[in-house]
Amino acid sequence: MSSVSVSASASPSSNLLPSSPSPLPSSDSRSRPLRRLSQLRAYTQLHFSSPPPQQPQQQQQQQPSVASSSSSSTNSQRVSRRHTLGSRVSWFSAASTGPDSLTSTVGTTTRAPCPESEHQSTFARYSSVFSPSYRGLELDLRSQPSPTESSNSPLRNETATATGNQTQEIMARPRGSSQAVEARPNGEVSSAGNIQPGALESPDPVVSESPCTSSPRPKQKATIRFFPHQDSHASSRPSLPFIPISRTLPSDSCVIRVGRYSERDGTPVANPTEPSDAPVGFKSKVVSRKHCEFMYLNGQWHVKDVGSSSGTFLNHMRLSQPNIASRLYTIKDGDIVQLGIDFRGGEEMIFRCVRIRIECNRSWQQQPNEFNKNTENLIKNLGKGDTADYSGCRECSICLGSVLRPYQCLFMAACAHVWHYKCVSRLIHTPDYPMFQCPNCRAYTDLSAEVDDTNDFEEQEESKSASAEDKPEALEPARSETHTPQQDPNAITQPSRTSGDERHPETRLPVEAGLAANIENMRLQDLDASDDNSSQPPAPTSNPDSVPSNANNEVPGWQSLTQSPSSAQTRPAQLRAETPVRSESSDENPLTPLNDSGPSYPQNATPPTES
Amino acid sequence: MGSQKRIAKELAELTESAPEGITVKLADESNLYIWNVYMEGPENSPYQNGTFHLTLTLPTEYPFKPPTVSFRTKIYHPNVTNDDKGSMCLGMLRADEWKPSSRLAAVLQFARQLLAEPMPDDAVEGRIAEQFKGDFARYEEVAREWTRKYAVRG
Repeated sequence: MSSVSVSASASPSSNLLPSSPSPLPSSDSRSRPLRRLSQLRAYTQLHFSSPPPQQPQQQQQQQPSVASSSSSSTNSQRVSRRHTLGSRVSWFSAASTGPDSLTSTVGTTTRAPCPESEHQSTFARYSSVFSPSYRGLELDLRSQPSPTESSNSPLRNETATATGNQTQEIMARPRGSSQAVEARPNGEVSSAGNIQPGALESPDPVVSESPCTSSPRPKQKATIRFFPHQDSHASSRPSLPFIPISRTLPSDSCVIRVGRYSERDGTPVANPTEPSDAPVGFKSKVVSRKHCEFMYLNGQWHVKDVGSSSGTFLNHMRLSQPNIASRLYTIKDGDIVQLGIDFRGGEEMIFRCVRIRIECNRSWQQQPNEFNKNTENLIKNLGKGDTADYSGCRECSICLGSVLRPYQCLFMAACAHVWHYKCVSRLIHTPDYPMFQCPNCRAYTDLSAEVDDTNDFEEQEESKSASAEDKPEALEPARSETHTPQQDPNAITQPSRTSGDERHPETRLPVEAGLAANIENMRLQDLDASDDNSSQPPAPTSNPDSVPSNANNEVPGWQSLTQSPSSAQTRPAQLRAETPVRSESSDENPLTPLNDSGPSYPQNATPPTES
Repeated sequence: MGSQKRIAKELAELTESAPEGITVKLADESNLYIWNVYMEGPENSPYQNGTFHLTLTLPTEYPFKPPTVSFRTKIYHPNVTNDDKGSMCLGMLRADEWKPSSRLAAVLQFARQLLAEPMPDDAVEGRIAEQFKGDFARYEEVAREWTRKYAVRG
C-alpha cells in the first residue's frame, strides 16, 4: 500500500470517529447534570446500592419512565453505577437537573450514562481482549466482556459503522505491539468490508504521542501511570512487584481495564510509547479477571470496581462488596489503589495483592511551562558564563550547590529538575532502573523511553490545537487533521516491520533497537533458560524509531548492570521481562518460577529514594 | 562524603538565620551528623515557655535517607514517644515520604509546628492522643505541667 492511499483513506475514517458519538449528543449532555448531584449522594446510594440480581425490579421502581426498549441495556449500565460507598462522589457528569428530578435524570442517563467512555471504549476493548477472529458485528455483541460494558442501543447502531470502529481499535493499539499485528489482517477481514488495509494503518500517527517522553507536550492526552506501592507501615507485607505501567488514552472515551493477567490479552505492553488503552494485567490470583477500570471523564481520572471478588481499595477504602461493581471514584495523583487482599499470608507472589500508586494529572509537567523553559534557558546558557538571564532554580537539591557552573555533568529529568549527575546518580542506578523518580517532585521518568524528536510536529500541533477549543471533544477533529500529514513515515515503516511475525516482539526487534535490549536478553537467558523468547519485553527499546535514543539509553543501563551487585544486576532485566509478559497465572506456567524471586525483591520497590 | 558538604551548608544556613524559636548546634564539633536542637515551645501552646532539647541525627546516606528527630526533654505530646528515646513521628521523615530535596530547616519547623498543633490521628502515644481528642483540658494541663517540670530552666 502506498503511503498516499493510506493517508487518504485514513483521514475520513479517523474523522469519522470523533464524530461517532454524535448520534448521542443528548445523552452526553444528559449525563453532565449528574455530576452536580453529589449532594444527593445519600439518595443515590440508597437507590444504587442494591445487588445486581434485583436490578430489574429496582429499576422499574425507581424509574418507571425508562423506555422498555432500552431497559435491558439500561440495567447493565447501571450495574456499574451502583454502590456509592464512600465520599468521593464524582458522578459521571451531569447537567442541570435538580435534585428532585433525579429519578428522571437517572432514567434518561441510563441509556448512556457516559456514552463516550462506555461505548467507544468497548470497541477498543475488543481489539485487545478478544482474539481477532472474533471481531465482527454479531460477535462483538456476544463477547461483551461484562454487563457493565454492554452496549446501549445507540451503541449497537454504531457498531454497524465498522469503519470507525476498526479505526478506533487500531488507534487504541500500541503500534509496535503484537496485538497490532494481529489486528490488522483481521481488521481487514471483519470490518464490514469497506475498510482498506491502509485505513487501518493510518491512525497510527495519531497515536504517535508517547506518554513518558521527556520533551514537552503541546497536547494534553489523558495519561495515567501505575507504580508499585509498598506500604510504609512495617506490618504490611510487600505487595506484588510490577514494572511501572503507563497508559495514554487514544481518546478520552477509552477505558483501561485492569484484571488478572490473561493470555487472551496478548502480550501486555507496560509502557507503550503511544496512546493505548490496552488492558493492564497483574499476575496475582487475588486479582479478578475483571477487577476494575480506570477511565477519564471530564478532565479527571476515575476508578471503579467492576465486580471483583476480592475488592478494589482506594486509599484503603473498599469500593464495593464482593462481586458487585462500584460506582466511579475520582482518583488523583498519589492515590493508592489496591487490588485484592493478600491470600494465604501473601507469602507466595501469586497470592499477593497489588498496590498501585497512581500518577495522573501530571500532563502540565510535560508541557512547556515556566519552569522547564527556565531550565531550557539554563542549559542554553551553561558554559557561556552568563547566567544572569536565568531565573529558574539554580540549585542541585541534593548537594544544594549551584548547577550553573560550566563543565559539570548535569542530569535533567523529564520534569525539568536538574542535579549534578554525581549527586543524583545513586537515584538513577537503582534496582528500579530504568524508572527514575524525581527527588524533587516525585514524578517518574522512564529513562529508557524513546527520544522524541518530533519537535517540528509539536510546533505545528501546538499552533493548531491552540486555535482549537480546550474541550477535548472539540480538539478531537483537529487532532486527526493535524496528525494526518505526519502519518506517512510511520505508515510506511510499519507494515514492513510488523507483518509476518506474530507474538514475539523480540523477533521484531530491529537491529537498531540496540545494545541495551540485547544485554537484557542475555541476562534473561542466563537467568532462566526455560524462559525463552517470549520473555523479551516489548519494552520501549523495541521501537524501531528509537535509533537516536539508544546512544543515550545504553550508557546508564550498562553502567547499572555492571556497577551494581549481581542481584541488582539482573533485576532490571528480570523485572522488565517478567511483568510485561505476564503470562497465564496458572502454576505450570514456565514464567511462574521467576516469580519466586519476588520475596527477595527489595521492599523499596517503589521509590528509588529509599534504596 | 558528598553528604558532609550539604550538611555543612544546611548547618551554616540554620545557624546564620535560624527559624523562629529554634537554635541549632553540633553536639560534637567533629561530627556533622548529630545536631543538638533547642526548640522553644510555641506560644499559645501548653509548651509555651519551655525549651526542648532535641537531637537530630543524620544518616550517612543523607540526604537520601531521612534524618531522625528525638526529644531529649520529656514532653507530653501525642506524637512523641513517652520513653527515654522521645522519638518523634514526623510524616515527612518517613522513609517513603522523605525526599532528598527536603531541608532540615523545614524538618525543624515542621517539628515545632507539631508542638503547636499535635496530630492525634497520627499519634505514637495513643493514650495522649485520646486524651487530646476527648479531654483537651486535661491534656493541656498535663502538658503544661510536664513543660514546667522538665522544659523550663532555672
